[in-house]
Amino acid sequence: MLFPPRAGYFLYNWLTMTAKANILIVDDEAQIAEMILATLEANGYTAAVAYNGSQGLKRVSQERFDLAIMDIQMPEMDGITALGEMKKIDPELEVIIATGHGTMSTAIQSLRKGAFDYLHKPFELKELLKVVERALEKRKFNDIAKVIFSTIKPEDQLRVIIDAVTRILKADESLLVLPDRDGKPRVAVSGGLETEEALSSRLEMCARVMAQPAEAAKALQLVEAPGLEKRFSDIKNLEKIKFSLFLPLVEDNKPAGLICINRDEEEAYFTEDDMQRARIFGSLVNLALRNSSLYRQLQETQGQLIQAEKMSALGQLAGGLAHEINNPLSGILGLAQLVLENLEKGSQNYADIKEIEKAVFRCKKIIVSLLSFSRQEKATIEQVNINEVIEETLTLCARQMELKHIKITRQLAPALPMVSADFQQLMQVFLNLFTNARDAMPDGGELTVATSLLKTPGGAELLMTSITDTGAGIPPDIINKIFDPFFTTKPVGKGTGLGLSVCLGIIHKHNGAIKAHSAPGQGSTFTISLPV
Amino acid sequence: MGKKILIIDDEALVRNYVRRALASRGWAVTEMADGASALDLLGREAFDVVICDLKMPDMRGEEVIKRIRQGWPAVKIIVITGSVSNITSPIVPGVEVDGFLIKPFGIDEIRALADKAIGA
Repeated sequence: MLFPPRAGYFLYNWLTMTAKANILIVDDEAQIAEMILATLEANGYTAAVAYNGSQGLKRVSQERFDLAIMDIQMPEMDGITALGEMKKIDPELEVIIATGHGTMSTAIQSLRKGAFDYLHKPFELKELLKVVERALEKRKFNDIAKVIFSTIKPEDQLRVIIDAVTRILKADESLLVLPDRDGKPRVAVSGGLETEEALSSRLEMCARVMAQPAEAAKALQLVEAPGLEKRFSDIKNLEKIKFSLFLPLVEDNKPAGLICINRDEEEAYFTEDDMQRARIFGSLVNLALRNSSLYRQLQETQGQLIQAEKMSALGQLAGGLAHEINNPLSGILGLAQLVLENLEKGSQNYADIKEIEKAVFRCKKIIVSLLSFSRQEKATIEQVNINEVIEETLTLCARQMELKHIKITRQLAPALPMVSADFQQLMQVFLNLFTNARDAMPDGGELTVATSLLKTPGGAELLMTSITDTGAGIPPDIINKIFDPFFTTKPVGKGTGLGLSVCLGIIHKHNGAIKAHSAPGQGSTFTISLPV
Repeated sequence: MGKKILIIDDEALVRNYVRRALASRGWAVTEMADGASALDLLGREAFDVVICDLKMPDMRGEEVIKRIRQGWPAVKIIVITGSVSNITSPIVPGVEVDGFLIKPFGIDEIRALADKAIGA
């Protein structure tokens, strides 16, 4: 049977495989080496022996080992040097250093060179086995992290991590709960939970844990038989769970989510080791979340770059074309008007030439809009009061709005700081947006213009302006296209499809942002943010 | 009194209708397709108004206008251009012009500007 070559599958395979780790023993004292070898093999590991540093190096370059246990005092090449060389060959190899008469400083030196841990000879074999187990576990987690973060799409990473949590912590069920946009907890991924009832009961339990005061919500919690606990006793379907481990995710010292791991078996207590593992998974989830938010940002930025690229290409094209087109267009206009002077006003010819004249004016309008992109001259930047720009633009539109029975509502915040901007260009932006709003409300309505000052968490100040109409709204399938050049919903000849892209271009030039929110039948809101 | 008008534009279509629009006023209109020949002609013949395009292949309109202003200070100058990119800056730095039109423009617009320049 062929499996799709997905990292998730490889990870699954890796987590369930039974083959034991491969360990290399490097020691010049044959007796000690043999003893370690026998102990490791008796515990199910595969092991090999090298009798000095260079032999050890040779083995590492020929064969894949998970772990090396290495003496420091050896002829030819000492353990510290061999450690450095081995790490060069296989950076992921874990190394445990054994020192006979080692001082603290050699131990520290070995840790600096990347050793996992060190043991003082003579050591007990039980002690050795413990360190071996820990080193192999670290290696295992490194492998998991590598698989998760190297190949899987961010949105799949959480699923793989939760699968790994379930398996490695021998859990019967586990879930990752994250707050949604409104801060309401929701199940991001889960394992071992089949029914809707089971899921919602676990979610409710997690929501209560997350709702605790911040300090308590940030601590790892172990709960025995949560169904019997007072705080969960009213939640149904929890009887099955014998042990629950709640691991909060913390980002920027604030609770960011919760992992809940449940065991259904009697006596299946969570040990200190389990909690340690859970914490490691917690940091993996944090990493995955950060990755996916970075990934989203990257995609968003990419989209903006593409948009900017489109605009600048169009601007250059427009600048070059406009001049070429304006000359013949001027000829058409002038000659048509000369002909008109010699025609009888009521004649068909007069009417036809009049249409040609009108068509030229339409072309002229398109070209003027196009040229707004390609203007190479610098904007006249001055300290501008945004409310003043809005008032002045509204004065221009007032009569049109009145004719269309559109009520203008101002919610302009007083005493706003000034912005560095080009007054005329901002007027053009507002004029475009007001005109669009007017056209969206052919049967009348309300145009609301609001300004406010927004402080970002980073301490920066943004001037926010929102322009809201009560028109038909923008269908969701086109809302992503409305800023594209030449995109228009107006009838042929009524709109150039350039208004909003001109707005976008101007606002970007001012280092600001413009966004549209709308739902069919609910009107539209355009929000402009400008840095103060 | 028949005024003399010189139109400098490399675009024949534009020269054509501008000439005819102004000729109907009873003015004598001469067409020139490039800056060098126009300056040459100005050296031999007196004109009341020069209508000059800004973007021409041989010599930039700005340069032509500058030289006309220096050589014949009394001539009225009307600038016509197909590009609006310099609408906010002075049309020709350091040179006063008497009128400015952006293409495409109609016959009434050029007549009105010419009237104003001549002082009719």
